[in-house]
Amino acid sequence: MPEITYREAIHDAMVEEMRRDPSVFLIGEDIGTYGGAFGVSQGMLEEFGPERVVETPIAELGITGAAAGAAMVGMRPIAEMMFSDFVLLAMEALANQAAKARFMFGGKATVPMVLRLPGGSGTGAAAQHSQSLESLLIHIPGIKVVMPSTPYDAKGLLISAIRDQNPVCFVEHKLLYKSKGEVPEGEYTIPIGVGEIKRPGTDLTVVSTGIMLHRCLSVADRLAQEGLEVEVLDPRTLRPLDTEMITASVKKTGKLLVVHEAVKTGGWAGEVIASVSESDAFNYLDAPMRRLAGKDVPIPYNRLLEEAAVPQEADIEAEMRALLTNQY
Amino acid sequence: MPIPFIMPKMDMDQESVTITEWLKQEGELITKGEPVIVVETDKLTSEIEAPATGTLASILYHEHEEAPVTQVVAYILAEGETIADLPAPEKPEEVEAKAAETPAQQASAPVQLQVSPIAQKLAADLKVDLNQLGITDRKITRADIEAFAAAAKEKPPRPSATPAARFTARENKLDLSGISGSGPGGRVQLADVKAAQAAATSQPAVDLKPAAVLPAVKPGEIKPFTGTRKRIAERLTQSYQDVPHIYLTVHVDMSALSALRQRANADKTRDSVSMTAFLVKLLALTLARHPYLNATLSERGVELLGEYNIGVATALEEGLIVPVIHHADQLPIRTINAQLRELSAKARNGSLVRQEVDGGTFTISNLGMLGISEFTAIINPPQSAILAVGAIERRVVAAADDEIEIKPMMSITLGCDHRVVDGAVAAAFLRDLKTVLEEPSLALL
Repeated sequence: MPEITYREAIHDAMVEEMRRDPSVFLIGEDIGTYGGAFGVSQGMLEEFGPERVVETPIAELGITGAAAGAAMVGMRPIAEMMFSDFVLLAMEALANQAAKARFMFGGKATVPMVLRLPGGSGTGAAAQHSQSLESLLIHIPGIKVVMPSTPYDAKGLLISAIRDQNPVCFVEHKLLYKSKGEVPEGEYTIPIGVGEIKRPGTDLTVVSTGIMLHRCLSVADRLAQEGLEVEVLDPRTLRPLDTEMITASVKKTGKLLVVHEAVKTGGWAGEVIASVSESDAFNYLDAPMRRLAGKDVPIPYNRLLEEAAVPQEADIEAEMRALLTNQY
Repeated sequence: MPIPFIMPKMDMDQESVTITEWLKQEGELITKGEPVIVVETDKLTSEIEAPATGTLASILYHEHEEAPVTQVVAYILAEGETIADLPAPEKPEEVEAKAAETPAQQASAPVQLQVSPIAQKLAADLKVDLNQLGITDRKITRADIEAFAAAAKEKPPRPSATPAARFTARENKLDLSGISGSGPGGRVQLADVKAAQAAATSQPAVDLKPAAVLPAVKPGEIKPFTGTRKRIAERLTQSYQDVPHIYLTVHVDMSALSALRQRANADKTRDSVSMTAFLVKLLALTLARHPYLNATLSERGVELLGEYNIGVATALEEGLIVPVIHHADQLPIRTINAQLRELSAKARNGSLVRQEVDGGTFTISNLGMLGISEFTAIINPPQSAILAVGAIERRVVAAADDEIEIKPMMSITLGCDHRVVDGAVAAAFLRDLKTVLEEPSLALL
């Protein structure tokens, strides 16, 4: 199987879907000649022309409103926010219109749009260009929130998102664009709402996705050399959440750690933990369920402070060890 | 006139009982003959029935207090009567205390409580018994009721344990408070429960005592020494100090009796007969030929009892209890066996009645099933002898022709009151008992 990057996987998914379905189009800032802020849509203007690769002014509410309207009349737009932070500008169109239209029109209208959101810190882009707003988005019924962590998942999930009848927020991590992984050529899909056990284990369940998943896997591999078997789960979709996979794993290990970059307060880790607490897995818990998440601060510009604000491998290792050895 | 509720005397040498529970509260209607008080005596727990019908009032001895027998413990009010109709309180220390404090109040019993209206309403809402507040020297206020209700709500702290530990303990009926935790701050982990469970199941099967988990011992913790436990201690101390014990041991070849028991138990359609049942029967038959072993020494002299009622010491968590097989000499062994089973079950669930523990003339204490080879026991007064039975073990013995043989042997130790039984008398009894145990068919003669 060929190895390609996360960026190429997303690019391939969009190109293949646009070739397959003439209703699919791109809309966003600098996505044409420049090829997108992170180069995801390079060469697409040349292949599909300005009719299907629509460059816009700096107007996120306009981009999202146009996408929602186009979706309601039969198109399948893929709108790009240059940085996920700017989705806050688009909230009226996304949360008040796109998310609700299908329900308010009694199912007569569908909104099959994708909003691509490059998020996360680690690039020195400071507080307004480094946020992880996925936790904010899962609070809105009517939209789905997908967060792939590998090139394989990114391609399969983006194709599913494009074909979905509902607005899908597709959260990409900026640090993952250059990461590589095996991706089969041609069409395949990964169902939205189905997680994956990225590493089986028996002693501790860790739920994580995006860049944090890779840090968790790396720590888990190290701990395995000491005989500590951590099971690492990637929900891949934050809404709807694959609670079945998570509760089954917790019933096996008795311990749960959720790791995410989004700030801790109101973060999606709390939602995962609450769902386990409410499930029959509660009776199998042998330690407090723990969250390791971004500090409750805006992401600092200073590199050292930026690193300190989000979980690093050392933090993850300390947290896993504490749970594995009953320190909590 | 209110009817006094008098604590009955249930035993000749009994002076007091411990009140375990009032089944009815003050102000409740009670009917003659219905159980009202649960008491604990030296031997067992009994229910005391209402002597008359009426309203229960003025409880003088509360739960976990010792109440003297033949004394008033409460009153029963007839219709129309109030606590104002009661005579002066008769609980001696209360009278004394009151006499010391406020002599004037002594006459005006019972104490009329001073209660503010809001406190009265709150007490009714929260179901607080105003008498339990113990405030008689001033007006009871709302704050008193609230403080009392809050204190009553406080439960003993739950043991710290993970949900999995709790769940597993619950499923396996293990007491979490008895399991020491390895987690932070002593929290009980799943592994601790599993270890306790393994320990509980790997203990030797003791049919008289439920296998317990490792007890959590807190240094310096004081366990109450009351009720059954205290009475056992008193009786044993008295017996050990007053009665000059002598001990004699014989080793019995159990080949024949074991074979007989095996044959009896080959019939799987019937309950298997325990070795204790055989022992009780053969012991009772032997006692009939040695009346001084079955006697009571009193001021009047040595009373030869003439009935052969064998008590079988039974270990319970809260202490020893000795249910009795009456007229064991006249009962078939299967009947004795059935009675032993029933009494043992009743002892464990605390439902033995007086007649089932009274009237013992001789006691047998068997620690054989716990692997004890031989031991001595303290005489259960007013009896004059006790038989301590050890385990049946395969031992090397010298046979008649000086050959070495391996035989199932059992050591039995007779403890007896030397004032009543001399060594030679005891030896004669033991010789006869050994003979019949080794050759049970002789019992037919």
